[in-house]
Amino acid sequence: MPSATKHRPPSPLSTSGRTSSAQLHPLKPALRKPQPRKRQPKSPEVLERERLVLSRLPDTTVPPKRKPVRQFLRLVWHRFIYLLIHAVFIIYLKLRWGYNAIVSKVFALLYYHHRTPELIQKDVQPLKEKGKFPGHISVVLDYERDDLDKLIDEVAEIACWCAAAEIKTLSVYERTGILKNYISTSHRTIADHLRSYFGRDRPTVRVHAPHSRSFANGDIPGDGQDSEIDLEVMFLSEEDGRESIVDLTKTLCDMAQRGKIGAEDVSTELIDAELKDNVMGEPDLLILFSPNVTLKGYPPWQIRLTEIFNVTDNEGVGYQVFLRALHSFAKTEFKFGR
Amino acid sequence: MNSPPIEWVTYQLKELFINATRQGPVPRHVGFVMDGNRRFAKKNHIETAEGHNMGFDALAKAGFTIAVCYKSGVEAVTVYAFSIENFKRPLHEVNALMEIAKFKLNQICQHGDLLDRFGVKLRVLGQLDLVREDVREVIDEAIDITKDNNKCVLNICFPYTSRNEITTAVRSIVNLSTTPNCPPSPSFSDSSTTSTASSKTALAGLSDFESITEQTLTEHMFTSDSPPLDLLIRTSGVRRLSDFLLWQCHQDTEIVFVDCLWPQFDIWHFLPILTDWAIKQKKKDKTAAAMRRQEEGLGQRIPVR
Repeated sequence: MPSATKHRPPSPLSTSGRTSSAQLHPLKPALRKPQPRKRQPKSPEVLERERLVLSRLPDTTVPPKRKPVRQFLRLVWHRFIYLLIHAVFIIYLKLRWGYNAIVSKVFALLYYHHRTPELIQKDVQPLKEKGKFPGHISVVLDYERDDLDKLIDEVAEIACWCAAAEIKTLSVYERTGILKNYISTSHRTIADHLRSYFGRDRPTVRVHAPHSRSFANGDIPGDGQDSEIDLEVMFLSEEDGRESIVDLTKTLCDMAQRGKIGAEDVSTELIDAELKDNVMGEPDLLILFSPNVTLKGYPPWQIRLTEIFNVTDNEGVGYQVFLRALHSFAKTEFKFGR
Repeated sequence: MNSPPIEWVTYQLKELFINATRQGPVPRHVGFVMDGNRRFAKKNHIETAEGHNMGFDALAKAGFTIAVCYKSGVEAVTVYAFSIENFKRPLHEVNALMEIAKFKLNQICQHGDLLDRFGVKLRVLGQLDLVREDVREVIDEAIDITKDNNKCVLNICFPYTSRNEITTAVRSIVNLSTTPNCPPSPSFSDSSTTSTASSKTALAGLSDFESITEQTLTEHMFTSDSPPLDLLIRTSGVRRLSDFLLWQCHQDTEIVFVDCLWPQFDIWHFLPILTDWAIKQKKKDKTAAAMRRQEEGLGQRIPVR
């Protein structure tokens, strides 16, 4: 695993900050020696400034070697401070976790959907009036071993909230891509959940995944394709990220070798259009149900301007997180290009 | 807060904390989105360009973030200084930003020692042909002055967007794949140095486009010679990546959104993030080790059966 080998073992004996004072104050030797590299001639003001600075710098004639005992003591001292900081910080994290857990509980009690679309609509109505409401929501879910039912249930719940809030597109990212094998099962579960929310007159839903072109839209009456679908659920996995860009590169290389395109034809617009067709467009809002923000391989091209939301210390799917994400989305002013 | 003894104490405290941070795991590569300069300027009724200036100042100040990074053992720092989208801003602001960049880089050229102190190699990532000629000259000079430093890297994303970076990578791969394999005449390859040899293998590999992998693309990104990005920090509470290092940050990178504006971001904001990262990293390493042990245990048990 790269994460295990990623970090050099700290070797403070050899590289700790104070070992060589010449390294600390290179200004002096640099000034005395004639410069081998080409530099701009220094103006009188610069020289004056340097003279001022130099008079304040400590003497560089101190022998660079320190006593090993002293160095060892310093090391022990820093180690101690390090452990102290970590101990204090872990206590702080625990306290914060407790506080946030209480806040989440209170939110969960205050805002519960009771499986009533009207309540959800009431919750999101003020946000819609404010003018900023996402049309495409994306969520990142985790697949825990052997708990496929839980995962599909979570997808179905989120799909119901989206349908009630009248969000048109929901993309579900799950790293391993196991959901893609259960498109029809998911469709059935989502339909069941929708029925329990909306009753018999439930919104129509379509479940699909990029690449695997199987559209399981059993509940769309008759000819299907043209009729308006209320909710579109899309399953994404790690292979829709980097791999899709790699595949596109291969295709482009193939075309270039056959002389259909030249390298100069490869443009951001072309890649964007291809990825949009083959994978998906840019989501407006990405909701993470994890305590920290790591994207776990989420398609990189598409998250350029996506608002990323998570609740600190939150673990697991909850309606209050969904609602808080929508609130946070409505508040931010949307500026293109920072 | 400005009296000498207090300054001395805060300095000592900073040094102590930085040295303590070194004792644990430290991210190898940190990215910063320096956001909030405009808002800071607006809030404090400074002209926008001046606000940006303070952001650059904060960057240039040796005692600040970057120095903290290098002191605590970070190998590479990447900062988002100017987006290609920023060219859409009012012309006078763009010009002011360019002037500031030129000025600051000039300063680096004159006091290159500041970067020398940490052995920092400066690199400018982005679509440099969009930049004015005079600015580009200064950039080249600054890069030239620090090119011999090899301890750590400072990547300044100058006119940069990540999509542009990915496109450039794809384009160069397509370009390589179409160039006919001219060089491999054996006598030439014997005398060639290692660098040309490596470029040749890349060429030879790419004519067969099926061998293109994620790794190939990663090698063609601007950041190819920096370690993988471990930590990405965005200030000013905006929870978006805004086209920054998308390819690099979408896997295991820890992304942190900080509420304070960039000019206010200092070591007391930064050290908790580093500590938090270290704690998470230790936990991750521990679970990885446990997993490995479990797998080894399984591997041992199977032959017994």
